[in-house]
This record gives sequence, structure tokens and C-alpha cells, in this order.
Amino acid sequence: MQLSDRITGSCLVALGGVTVYGALQQPGVPGQDVGPSVFPMVIGLGLMGCGSLVALRIGHSFEAPDDVVPPEPGEVVARPPRFAEWRAFLPPLLLLFYMLAVESLGFLLTAAAISLAVSFTMGARARLALPLAVLAPLGIHAIFVRLLRVPLPDGLLTLPW
Amino acid sequence: MTDLFEGLRLVLQTDVLIAIAASAVYGLVIGSLPGLSATMATALLVPVTFYLSPIAAVATIITASAMAIFSGDIPGCLLRIPGTPASAAYTDEAYAMTRKGQAELALGTGLWFSAIGGIAGTLSLLIMAPALAEVALNFSSFEYFWLAVLGLMCATLVARSSPVKAIASMLLGLLFSCIGMENPAGTPRFTFGMTDLLGGIEPLPALVGVFAVSQVMRALSEAEPPPLPRRRFGSIMAGQWALTKKYPKPMMRGNIVGIIIGVLPGAGADMAAWVSYALSKRFSKEPQKFGTGHPEGLVESGASNNASLASGWVPALLFGIPGDTITAIAIGVLYMKGLNPGPTLFTERASSMYALYIIFILANIIMIPLGIIMIRVAATVLRAPRASIMPIILLLCAVGAFATGNNLFAVLLVAFFGTLGYVMERNGYPVAALVLGIVMGSMVEQSFVTSLIKSDNSIMPFFDRPISAVLAAITLGALLWPVAAWLIRRMKARAPAVAGASGGHANG
Repeated sequence: MQLSDRITGSCLVALGGVTVYGALQQPGVPGQDVGPSVFPMVIGLGLMGCGSLVALRIGHSFEAPDDVVPPEPGEVVARPPRFAEWRAFLPPLLLLFYMLAVESLGFLLTAAAISLAVSFTMGARARLALPLAVLAPLGIHAIFVRLLRVPLPDGLLTLPW
Repeated sequence: MTDLFEGLRLVLQTDVLIAIAASAVYGLVIGSLPGLSATMATALLVPVTFYLSPIAAVATIITASAMAIFSGDIPGCLLRIPGTPASAAYTDEAYAMTRKGQAELALGTGLWFSAIGGIAGTLSLLIMAPALAEVALNFSSFEYFWLAVLGLMCATLVARSSPVKAIASMLLGLLFSCIGMENPAGTPRFTFGMTDLLGGIEPLPALVGVFAVSQVMRALSEAEPPPLPRRRFGSIMAGQWALTKKYPKPMMRGNIVGIIIGVLPGAGADMAAWVSYALSKRFSKEPQKFGTGHPEGLVESGASNNASLASGWVPALLFGIPGDTITAIAIGVLYMKGLNPGPTLFTERASSMYALYIIFILANIIMIPLGIIMIRVAATVLRAPRASIMPIILLLCAVGAFATGNNLFAVLLVAFFGTLGYVMERNGYPVAALVLGIVMGSMVEQSFVTSLIKSDNSIMPFFDRPISAVLAAITLGALLWPVAAWLIRRMKARAPAVAGASGGHANG
């Protein structure tokens, strides 16, 4: 998700503007000049300033290359997977799915579905993905529910123990 | 002395010893897997610490982070892929040694000097923290304000990125900390009518999102690293004593630089390793050997990154200001366990502090045998396909976030911060500055507003008091430093150009 500095800078300016507006809407504290609006106001102005500088690409020369080690001459570089940029957004979507489904489906089924989705997207074969989708939720369930007493919902599937 | 014995008794409890052993194995495995950082290992441990005794909770964090920083060297050395960002600085050097058939020496150097660095860092913590606590007792809200801002500025200065982007990240973190009712006026801010936001943004879901979910996201968008060829290792520790005697100066310099960088709020192990590797090359008698499989840089930066880990706890314990992203997590755990950071911690809870020092030393000692075992089984661990690890990490993110308050809203926050962290990293915005902003936001605002109320809206007392004035000067210096660096660079670039132009004119 590589965006140009102009776009990210403009987003920051807009966010700063919204923050300043939000700060101005804060109620004052009777008898005091310093209210809940001061700090967000400073942040909002700061974001607007930084956003403008980023959009103008000031400070760009300080950016160091990625920490990733560059390939050696002659070394075969593995090609990134297809739709790499879009595949990256699967995990947050799966977390949303978890949030919406876990109460009704229960932890074990939801976790199994998430595990399958991630393993298959990463190119795993069924002989790895299927046992993992059974064992990983069971293991996490054992640690968090039995040992740490976190109330993970049972949903459709209740364990006999 | 009684405090020391009491500290020892606290550490020798069965639950603490089990916690140390289990978190050591966990840290070694997570650190050795490429792409999974020490910060991520620590963030995923926090939900488990809820259910442990205070000392066991702190022990898990200390042990897991120290082990993860060392074991990040293993894939760097064998595969040329750093396991944690702290190993990236010297990955090329370690891999060059492996290609020369010196894998054992490179891994042993990482292990031995990591342990020495860790112990040196602990000694610095032991000496510095109580001494600084005396000074810190005189601090008022003005000093705390400047200290917090200085911490944030340091995080932006060392971020190997555009300082403007780093400051923007930090401001974004501060903005997130404004959400909710936890402000001096107690009014709900930026909650958009959502009751879940009234309590504010907890740092943990933000940390798990930024450091763990974004890693899973990155793993999905990158190609699988090559499998590690099976090999038999000779003696790992052979030759380490000779190296210690050959390079005492680089080792000491690594320890000291690591300690200084660790103490600086916001700068962590990865920065320490980069600086130390650069210094090692700069002051070496054989700089031409760097990059060809020369152990000197490894000695210095391997010691440095582990030394910074312990000294990062100095500002965390004294002021509640994180020395790095790992201590940013640790501060939350300290508060949760009633060990509230502050100078009085060293007088009122001295035994707990001794326990903490003992854990640090213990963790660095057991690192050697466990590290040797880890190196020997590394080929098997590193063979685990990412498709089997990432689903587990993602599930732990969801369950861990839920466990912080038995609230599914935290899972939504994790997803949000994961996406934000991923997009920010891809566009050169350092996420460590964002996290420090979130962690320190309420402290900055609290000290800022309290000071303004105390001074009747005058800003002069921020500069009047002696310590406050010094801290203010350093902070403003840190803010202006990038501008000065840019101007110097510009002038240097212009000077040869002018010289070249006039030379050309004369010739013509």
C-alpha cells in the first residue's frame, strides 16, 4: 500500500483540521482558561504543519532504505505472491469476522475458519491446514479457558471437558 | 542487604522460575522466526501476565525480550534474514562468516556477547537507577512535562526515517491518547457517542495491532523465505574467549553505547545495533575487513543491542517513560501489578527492584545454554512453514486483545491498528513513535495542563526552574537538530559544487 507523500501529507493536514475543529467543540471548564481543548488543539496544529511538510517532501532525504538486506549479485530473489498488496488486508478482515461471528459460532469454529483462511492463502496444502485448524484452536482454548480463565464463548460447539 | 535476600526469595519462587523457563523458550523460538520481532513476542505475552504474580509477570517480559533479541541473530546468520530488526545491522557480516564456514563462530559471538551486553546493561541499571531516583524525587510537573516531550523527541530523532514523518507519527499517537474521558477535565473527547471509546484507547490492543497483526499482514504479502539447509554444528562457544581478549575495546564500547542508547527514551535495541556497528567500523584498525565476515562488528553490536535492553528500563522504572517499545509494554504491566513506576519504587519496593535485577542477570546466564540448544535445533524450528505459524499468531492477537477486558471491541481496535501500522510502515512513518505517543500521551497532557494551571497560564515557569530549563534546551535542540543536519548537508554539498564550478571556469 505505497502511497505518495502528497497523499499521506494531505491526509495528515485533513486529520489535523478535523482535530482542531473537534477541539474547538470541547466545553470549557468554568473558572479556568486551560480546558480539554488545549492539548488536541496543539496536536491538530502540529499534524497540519507536519502534513504540509510531508506533502512538500521536506525531510525526505533523511529516509533510510528498508532494513531488509539487499540481494547479493547472482542471488535468486523469490517473487512476491500474486495480489500481494491486497492479500495483506486479509488479517484485519478476519479479525472483524472474529468479532462478529465468535458469539454465535463459538471460539473453536471461528478460530478454525480463520486458521484455514490464513493457511490456504499462504499456499498451505490441506494436509497441513486441516490439522492446524483443529489443533491450534484447541490448544489456544486450553491455554486461555482452562489455564487463564478467559471466558471465550462456546457457541455451537461445546467441548465435553 | 535484607532487601537483596528478599529479592532473591521472590525470584526463587516456583511460579517465577517456571515463568522464566517457559518465557525463555518462547522468546528464543519467536525471535528466531524471521519477521517476528522481540516487541511482538512481548506484546503477545501481556495477556498471560494478567494471571501471574507481579514478579513472575515482569520476569516473563524480561526473559522473553532478552532471548528474542539474541535469537534474532540465528536466521540472520544462517539465512541472511534478520529474525528481529535489532539483528538487521550486522546480518550481512554474520552471513558472510557463515559462507566462510564460520557459522559456529558467528552464532557463538552473537550468543556470548549478547549475554555479556545484557549483564553490563543490568549493572548500569543497578547503579544508575537508584542514583537518578534521588534526583528524580525533586521533579515537579514542569520537569515531567519536558522529560516526556524529550522522550517523544528522541523517538523521532533516532527513527531512521524522515523526522517530519516521525513527528507526525508521534502526534498521531498523542491524538489517539486524547480519546476518551481520561483527561484532566474529565470530559469525553473524540468518542463519537461510542461507549466503548469512553475509557480511551488501551495501549495493548494498539501494540498488538501495530507489531503483531501488521507482521502477519506483511507475511501474507511477501514470498516465503528459503528453507534452511540442514547442517551439523561444531562447538558453538569455541573461540569466544579468544575473541573477548582480542576485542576488549569494541566490546566495552558496544556495552557503553548500548547502555546510553537504551537510557535515551524511545531509542531501542535496533538503533543501538546500527550505531554500534557503524562505530565499530569507524574505529576499527581493519575497517576494510568489514562486510567480508569479520567478527569485530558482531562483537560490538551484539553486545550493544542486549545492553540497551536492560538500560531501557532506567527511564521506565524511574519516570514511567519507556526506553524502547518493549519497555512501553512493560510499563503497562508494572502499573497493572501495582509496581507503579516512579522514584519511590526504589525506596518503598526495593526488594522488588532487586528481584528485577536478579531476573535480568539470571536471564542472561541461562541464555547461554538455552541459546546453544536453540542454535542446534534452529534448522528444525526454521523449517516450520509460515503458513503454520501466522494463523496461530493471528488467533493469539484476537484472543489476547479480548482477554485484556473481556471485550470484543478490543479485537476491532487490534484490526484497526494492524491496518494503520502496516500502511504507515509501507509509507515510511515509524510505528515506534506512534506507539510511544499512545503510551505517553496522557502523561504529557496531564503534566502540561497541571503545570499551566499551577503557573496561572504563564509559560515562564517551564523555563525558569534549573532542571526544567536544561531539559527544555535539550528538547528544543532535539527538535532543531534535523534542520541543522539538513543545513550542514546542504552546505557541504554546495561547497564542492562551487569549487568544481570555479575550477572549471579557471580551466576554461
